[in-house]
Amino acid sequence: MIFEPFLSNLFLQYALFASFAASIASGVIGSYVVVKRIVFISGSISHSVLGGMGFCLWVNRHYEIPWLSPLQGALASGILSALLIGWIHLKYREREDTVIAALWSTGMSIGVIFTTLTPGYTAELMSFLFGNILWVSQRDIHLLLGLDLLVITLVAIFHRKFLAICFDEKQALLQGIAVHSLYLLLLCLIAISVVLLIQVVGAVLVITMLTIPAAIASTLTHRLSSIMVIAVALGWLFSFLGLSFSYTLNWPPGATIALTAALFYTFSLLKKKNVSTC
Amino acid sequence: MILKVNDLEFSYHKTTILQNVNLSIDKGAFVGIFGPNGGGKTTFLQLLMGFLKPTKGTIAISNHTPKEARSLIGYVPQVTHYDRQFPLSVLELVLMGCLSKSSWIGTLPKESKIRALEALKRVNLTDKQEASFGTLSGGQAQRALLARALVSQPKLLLLDEPTASVDPKAEKEIHDLLFSLKGEMTILMVTHDLETIYQKVDRWLCINRQISSYAPSEVCQHFSHGLYHHPTLPIL
Repeated sequence: MIFEPFLSNLFLQYALFASFAASIASGVIGSYVVVKRIVFISGSISHSVLGGMGFCLWVNRHYEIPWLSPLQGALASGILSALLIGWIHLKYREREDTVIAALWSTGMSIGVIFTTLTPGYTAELMSFLFGNILWVSQRDIHLLLGLDLLVITLVAIFHRKFLAICFDEKQALLQGIAVHSLYLLLLCLIAISVVLLIQVVGAVLVITMLTIPAAIASTLTHRLSSIMVIAVALGWLFSFLGLSFSYTLNWPPGATIALTAALFYTFSLLKKKNVSTC
Repeated sequence: MILKVNDLEFSYHKTTILQNVNLSIDKGAFVGIFGPNGGGKTTFLQLLMGFLKPTKGTIAISNHTPKEARSLIGYVPQVTHYDRQFPLSVLELVLMGCLSKSSWIGTLPKESKIRALEALKRVNLTDKQEASFGTLSGGQAQRALLARALVSQPKLLLLDEPTASVDPKAEKEIHDLLFSLKGEMTILMVTHDLETIYQKVDRWLCINRQISSYAPSEVCQHFSHGLYHHPTLPIL
C-alpha cells in the first residue's frame, strides 16, 4: 500500500507535512512567477541564498552562535537578492539579465567558500543544495506554517494589484498603483517561497517545484486564482508520490519529488502537443 | 484647454527624439497623430502619461503635471504588446481599469463591476465577459482594452495604433466606436490608417522629431503611404 509507510514512520509524516506546507506558498507564488515569466529571476534568487546559508553556517560554528541557523541566512540573503534584482529591473532594465546571472553565481560561490571555511563536518551543504526533507524538525514546520500564513495574507490583500502588475505595469501605474514597491514585494515573496522549498527539495531543485505545478496548472484553466489552487494540489501530489517513490526505491527524497514533477510536466507537454496536432 | 505643451524636448542617450514642441489641445477634441516610424509618436504618448521625463519644457494636463494627471488618462496600446497566454478573463481585464478605486485590502467598490459591464456593453463584448482574453480575436481583444480604458472614465484617451493588427472589418468597428465617443472626452490617436478617417478627426498632428499641425482638409491621402509634404502649418 502506498499510504502504509506514512502511517507508521514519524520521519515520513513530518516530511509529508513539511512538503504540503511548502507546496502552499510555492503553488501560489509560483503561479505569479510563471505568468509574469520571471523564472530566471527566481532561479537566481534560489541559488543566491546559498551565500547566506554558508555564511550563517560558518558564523554558527566559528563563533558558536547556536541560534543562528542556515535557514535564517537563506531568508536574509534571498530577500537581499530579491531587492537587488528588483532595483536593477526598475532602474537599469537593459542590464537585468547580466545582473541576474552574476547574482546566481556569486551567491553560490560565497556559499561554497564559507562552507569550506566552516570547521567540522559540513554535510549540511549537500542537504541545502539537494534538500533532505527527512531532517525536518517540529521547529522547521512551525517556521514553514508561519511563512505560509504571511504569504497567503499578503497575496489575499494584494492579489488584484499583483495580477495588474504581472499583466501590464504601465496600466497599473496609470491606476495609481505603487508598481515598484509591489514588484519588490512580489520578489520578496518569491524569496520566502524559495526558503520554504529549500527544506523540501534543496536550492538546486527549488525552481522545479516553484514553476512546474503552476506551469501544468496554467494549461488547465485561464484564471490565475484557479491556477494557484491547482498548483497547490499538484505540489501536494508530487510531494506525496515523490516521497513514496523515494521510500520504496531508497532514492534521495528531494530529487525524487523534483523528478516526479518533471515527469508529470513532460506528460502534460506531450498531451498538449497531441491536442494541438489533432 | 485640456493639454498644453511648452517648448518640450526629449533626448535618449544623447539622441534627440522630440524638440521644440509647442502644442495645445482643446477639451473634447479628436486628434489623429501620424508620422514615420521612429518619429517620436509613442515617445510623445509616454511623455503625456509621465512614464518619461522631458529633457526640457513642460506638459500640463488639466493644469496638472502628467504624473499628477494619470487618473485622468485612459491608455489603449496595441494588442500585440500583451502576452495572449496570460490567464485572465475579459471581465478581470476590464476591472483593472477600476483599481484606483480599490481599498487597502484590495476590494473594489460594488459599482466597479456595474461600470465594467457597462463598458463591455459599449464595446459590444457583453457575451465575452467570462472568456479568456487570449481566446479573443485581434479586434475583440483591442475592444476589450478599450473597455478597460473607458471604465476609468478618462478625460484624455490616448490610443497607440489601435487598429494596426486587426482586419478591415474590426478596424471599422473600432473606428465607429471611437467616433461615438467624440465630444465625451479628448482623444489622441496614433494611427497609420489615414485613408479611412482623415476627414473625421478634428485635427491631425504629424510627429517627426517636431510636431506639425494640420486641419483635416490639409491632410492628403499620400500621407498614409509615408509621403509627407508641405504645406505644414505652425502649431498655435
